[in-house]
Amino acid sequence: PCELFAARSRSHKIPARGQKDFYPDDSEEQRQRLQQSLDEHWNLIAEERVERLGNLVKATWVPSDQIVELQTPAGKFWQTMGFSAEGKQYLLPEEALYLMECGNLLVFHQDLPLSIQDGYEMFLSSDAVSLQQYQVFGHLKRLGYVVHRFDPSSEPSSYVRQLNLPQSRERGGRQLKRKRSPSPTPTCSHTKTPGESLAEKMEDDDKLPESDLMTSAEPPEPQTASPHSAAKGQARTWWMMDAPELEADKRSSPGSPSGRLRWNFSTIPFPDLGSTSRPRCMVPVDPSLLPRDVTVGVCDLDSWMRKINLRKVKMSVKEQQREKRRRRWDVNKDREVQRCRNWAEYHELLARRQAKRQGRPAHLWNREVKPLHDPTQPISTAELLEKISVVKSTNLLEGASRLKCSEEWRICFNVYQPDSVADFKKSNPGKPYSRMCVCSFDGPVPDLRVIKQLAFQSGDVPIVYAVVDYGDISFYTFKDFQLPRDVYA
Amino acid sequence: MEAPPCSQVEELQPEQEHGSSLVVGLRLCDSAPLLWRFQDLKTVRSNSLVGALLGSLPRTPRQNIRLGRPLLLMPEEERVLREHHGAAALSARNQDAAGAAELRQRYEEEQQRSLEEQSILALEDRKSALLRAMTSSSGSESGAGSDEALQCRLLALEQNFSFPRSALAVQLSTARAGLSHCQEARAFLEADWPIREQDSPRRDARYQVFRDLWGRGFFLTSAGKFGGDFLVYPGDPLRFHAHFIAVCLTLDESICMLDVLSVARLGSNVKKTVLLCSPALDGSVHYTSLQWSGMM
Repeated sequence: PCELFAARSRSHKIPARGQKDFYPDDSEEQRQRLQQSLDEHWNLIAEERVERLGNLVKATWVPSDQIVELQTPAGKFWQTMGFSAEGKQYLLPEEALYLMECGNLLVFHQDLPLSIQDGYEMFLSSDAVSLQQYQVFGHLKRLGYVVHRFDPSSEPSSYVRQLNLPQSRERGGRQLKRKRSPSPTPTCSHTKTPGESLAEKMEDDDKLPESDLMTSAEPPEPQTASPHSAAKGQARTWWMMDAPELEADKRSSPGSPSGRLRWNFSTIPFPDLGSTSRPRCMVPVDPSLLPRDVTVGVCDLDSWMRKINLRKVKMSVKEQQREKRRRRWDVNKDREVQRCRNWAEYHELLARRQAKRQGRPAHLWNREVKPLHDPTQPISTAELLEKISVVKSTNLLEGASRLKCSEEWRICFNVYQPDSVADFKKSNPGKPYSRMCVCSFDGPVPDLRVIKQLAFQSGDVPIVYAVVDYGDISFYTFKDFQLPRDVYA
Repeated sequence: MEAPPCSQVEELQPEQEHGSSLVVGLRLCDSAPLLWRFQDLKTVRSNSLVGALLGSLPRTPRQNIRLGRPLLLMPEEERVLREHHGAAALSARNQDAAGAAELRQRYEEEQQRSLEEQSILALEDRKSALLRAMTSSSGSESGAGSDEALQCRLLALEQNFSFPRSALAVQLSTARAGLSHCQEARAFLEADWPIREQDSPRRDARYQVFRDLWGRGFFLTSAGKFGGDFLVYPGDPLRFHAHFIAVCLTLDESICMLDVLSVARLGSNVKKTVLLCSPALDGSVHYTSLQWSGMM
């Protein structure tokens, strides 16, 4: 106890590490420096965390829910960690363990305080948060980042964000509801898969989700499970999430966060018309997806296909000016054209002009195998390259929507930047800075399939692969890159 | 509270090449072997096994440059310890109700005792602070007058002093206390550490190389970042730079030329020599070093 008391006035600085030597000679000087470094090292390692009881937040470990329940009010960390449910404050096990290591939290189990070792052994396991994942979590938190668990189902897609819909996050509510499922780990497997493939006309694509999202985005009443959304969706329920849980939850936990119906787009297959391998035909729409009294005919794909996958051509200044002039050019202003009195004369004028230009050599153009491009026709470099290319370039997300989720690889965390902490809101954290996928050098390297699938799942947030090598963590990221195809004059 | 000198649980004949071989207590966390007790970390280091620290450093938890306990062992380090009978399993946390009740009572008593002692210390502290303040301020004055005033002040302090429970300094232990409740001293070591590794030629090759280099007195750590298996240090990593990047291959394994090139390039960039290591059938290990030299 006197040592504990004396610990109040301990220094909070760590000694700097000196320069390292290259080769051990048997010099006394080296031995002394090594001993000094070692002594410093042992002093730091042996020190224990000592805190005033009043400064510590107290909590209890609830093994059945794999959650830590706060007994005294949370401190400053509450701004970025933890969640509320049923009027109580909770922390996720990795957050609690991190706070224990920082010396801010004292967790009890069966009325006895847990040591850090107890925390590691009880909170970390391969089915909840693994040791490697906690290493990455701790590393990022110590640097100041805000790190949350990733839940693919509650992430608003970039489309939803574009529509600027109000979103509410039920961070912890999900965890508590899962009394039946093994862990908060989100799984990709669909609860029910549609029998036949569905296709929708593009206009319906835009309209339907929008209208339904509007109804489900109504501000949910906090303590009462709203039955009206369940009633509305009677005709269409199998592809919506939370609907079966809603019924069960109404009975089991009356105070749980409201059931908010959301479309689970991962169970509704939308045909990927943007990919280069086009679907052969479009199956007519399932009438249960349409509003009443609306029938839809067969969709003509071709006109639409011509309008998508267009890339804006970057033009040089000269080309831009040329384009401007071309648009402004009115054929009627041409004096020679004005002198033509009828169509025949106009055609002669055109033929004359054509002849003036360097003609195409007839012997090349009269055969079966023709030149790929007529040099008299204007064409941009990009288009020309496209014509002569044998291998088509692609982008990372091509075909990604069709990939099924892998068992081994999943995104673990959302990471938000440290400087956003001041105005960080747990209920609406916004778009993360990046998402983490934890792996190790012992395991397999992520192949293209995994990279595509995870990138698709992440939307427009870049994915960082955190590779854990015992005590060391290296971060890698894969960036999509397009070879430049336009040449500027 | 610093750990009292750890009493040795078992002592075996000291090894020829290394320091005394005491038994260290290991615990598995998510199938990774961790060392928690300060004395165990010291023992393991004195046997030139480095390991990797994973936890926050108690003094400055919000940085990643220096980390604290627990210490994670590489599979090769774990195996070396086990084969030299230096590793044993620590017991799990006592979860049964009967033991828990007793522990709870002991915990309460200890807290109370600590509170009383700290209260006394705090009072003493304040008294001496008061004394210093009084004597320094009334340095030039003398006489019974100031003495009396001092006595009055001290008495008042003692009467009005209170040490609230919230001011109690408590320790958040890193390692779990053993049954004896002496913070880090005796902990029940249950059994010899079991064999855990899966057999694969790759793992075996790594282990043979590790054991050979370790036996020669080198310190080895993991080298995933450097594209190799181990980083080889001539002395303690705290004071020396690594000399080699060891890449372990079985004798009959073929290696693609591009891999040789990439690892050689990497080695020259970080100023370390690349060692291709292959264990032979007779137990020795063949080493080939790569040096990048240009054609003139």
